[in-house]
Amino acid sequence: MADRRPKRLPLAAIGFLLPNLAGFLLFTLFPVLFSFWMAFTNWTPKPAVQFAYLGLRNFSDLLGMRPLDRPQPALLAAYLIVAVILLAGIVMTLWANMAQWRGTRIGGGTLMVLGAVMLANALVHRSGPVAEIAGALITLCGGATILSGKDAFRLGPGAVPALLLSAGVIGLACLNPIVWRIYEPRDQRFWQYAYNTGYLMLGIPFSIAGSLVLALLLSEDLPTGTGRTRILGALLCTGGGVLSLIALWGAGRPDMGLIVALVWTIAALGIVFNVVAFRTLFYVPTFTAGVALMILWKALYNPKSGPLSVGLASLFQLLHWHLETPQWLGSADWAKPSLIVMGIWTSIGGTNMLLYLAGLSNVPRELLDAARVDGAGGWNRFRHVIWPQLAPTTFFITIMAIIGGLQGGFEQARVMTAGGPAGSTTTLSYYIYNKAFQELDLGYAAAISWVLFAIVFIATALNWKFGRGLEVD
Amino acid sequence: MERSPARATARFVTLCILGLLISLPFVWMVSASFKPRREVEEARIVPREPTTRNYPIVLNQIPDPVTHKRLDMAFGRWYFNSLFVAVAVTFLQVLTSAMAAYAFARMIWNGRDTVFLLYIATMMVPGAVLMIPNFQMMVWLRFLNTYHGLLLPAAFSAFGTFLLRQFMLSISPALDEAATLDGASHWQIFWEIVLPLARPGLIALTIITFLGSYQSFFWPLVMLNDTQLYPMSVGMLALDSSYGRQTELIMAATVMNIVPLIAIFIVFQKFLVKGLQVGGVKG
Repeated sequence: MADRRPKRLPLAAIGFLLPNLAGFLLFTLFPVLFSFWMAFTNWTPKPAVQFAYLGLRNFSDLLGMRPLDRPQPALLAAYLIVAVILLAGIVMTLWANMAQWRGTRIGGGTLMVLGAVMLANALVHRSGPVAEIAGALITLCGGATILSGKDAFRLGPGAVPALLLSAGVIGLACLNPIVWRIYEPRDQRFWQYAYNTGYLMLGIPFSIAGSLVLALLLSEDLPTGTGRTRILGALLCTGGGVLSLIALWGAGRPDMGLIVALVWTIAALGIVFNVVAFRTLFYVPTFTAGVALMILWKALYNPKSGPLSVGLASLFQLLHWHLETPQWLGSADWAKPSLIVMGIWTSIGGTNMLLYLAGLSNVPRELLDAARVDGAGGWNRFRHVIWPQLAPTTFFITIMAIIGGLQGGFEQARVMTAGGPAGSTTTLSYYIYNKAFQELDLGYAAAISWVLFAIVFIATALNWKFGRGLEVD
Repeated sequence: MERSPARATARFVTLCILGLLISLPFVWMVSASFKPRREVEEARIVPREPTTRNYPIVLNQIPDPVTHKRLDMAFGRWYFNSLFVAVAVTFLQVLTSAMAAYAFARMIWNGRDTVFLLYIATMMVPGAVLMIPNFQMMVWLRFLNTYHGLLLPAAFSAFGTFLLRQFMLSISPALDEAATLDGASHWQIFWEIVLPLARPGLIALTIITFLGSYQSFFWPLVMLNDTQLYPMSVGMLALDSSYGRQTELIMAATVMNIVPLIAIFIVFQKFLVKGLQVGGVKG
């Protein structure tokens, strides 16, 4: 390293470090420790409340269960054991997949059957989206396991995790109705909001896939020619835009004229600036994301005056359909999907797309050319050359998206929905805000925030451990 | 490059249509901001009687046509607050982060890696964990409703230090050694050698920090109740909760919020894209 005078170093280092370190200690490290301590107290700025050290009370209030009837500890213990088996099954399934244990295909088959039965059962009994999604997910996991397993259908340790998972799911299905007759969660809102947070994260895979598609569309320059042909093309597009605007406006369709002219303008910009024009355009929603954009979407979703409702209503009228337009953010069923759509629009052309573009530019050309020479079509080139090369990028993006998703949802809840209707868009971060700054129950809010931290930590650790399996292909 | 022109054309057309879909909400926003109130609820984009009156109403220059009262909003002040806080936070954060990154990347001292590990560990802690005790500290320090209360907690960042350290590690140490032999002090090495070479990282951190601070919402929301100190984000919320039914006014305000940002973005997009890609890959 640079300096050969190690004795003088600490002082100089302190000089460089001090401004940042002071801020770090005061506004990061101390608050972390302070917050951890708060989580074990009833800390509040309200003067009337006597300070008390509560031990684990906040956490048991948050995560614990309350008996409605005569308590049955044996039942609770069994429930806990089943939950642990289920978790172990999930972790071991990932592990077996990654390490290619013999028998994973049999395990995958078991899972698929189990998931299909769950899904069918949920559909027949109309048990609601949670059961249906869970069934579908388990089926998909099983299918993916079968596809990714490289061994033949032979019995081996790889079947064990699937059996554990099945035992856990079946046990849970049997115990659930009994347990919830006798017990209820002490903080029902926490579980509802945790569910909301998970639900809102369903947009993540769509957003990431969309970013990848956009990046693939933008990864190579468009053959727009050079110099004169480019200018000519741009002029033609501009001319087309002006002409269609005039013609359609004159024909009494100004809206149509404006839209068509807009497309022509985008095309002209695309010809002049090539992919940079589109990249810039797609990034604008991410760059401007914030309260203002949320207020814009709130207006778009306005059930009376918003363009979505007005446009849909006139479409229904045109087709003589007697349908009501959805209440969007005003309805407990539509609010979450509406927020997911907004989230996808905001993030699809954002940082993830840029990261994928950077990743795509690092895919060696020779590999692609070799694949082409070998006669690999577009899909095969993507599946066997591009996708494995992008695995580190996908891994990074997924981790960041999951971390962000688990902590997210505060701004839209505060700005757009106030967490409603009926708490259907309240996420854990909005719950923390409400507990801390509306109810001033800082101790309990700190406890929730540490539970959230634990969830984020476990999700990241699992990703770290098993997501890397993607890179081996 | 595609072999067939048909595929290239298809790709171009797809991109144009996607571009239209992405921009439609903005088109509606601009259109609504130029509509008189009675037209806002119509399913038209081009207003029949376009008006620019919504803008001076939001800026409190003329009274609202229905209530005949001026809005109780300090729009210009909020602009200033947002810009002032964002510039100050960015300046402080980039400077302190760069200095600390230099100490972590270019100096050897006992316990360096332990301290750095501590920095990284805190990056995983959710913002919500920090907000609660930080708020309590602001109450103790009587920093509520002040600029410095808004600024200080945001002025130091473990992330910025981490990002710049990664950049500085990639600069050849031979340069420092040569400079040290020539008798340069650490400050000179930092200022004249390392900082210029770490420019892409500095630009990336500047843009990320500026944008993050300009759009920050949670902290000002809990810190302030003096409307004169509101940044734009909290101000927009106040505007929306008081006048949310007047869509055309809200949209005029939104346009004034978003359009400058789009302009800034188009000017700086080259740096931003580079910086984010490098920062993302390394971070």
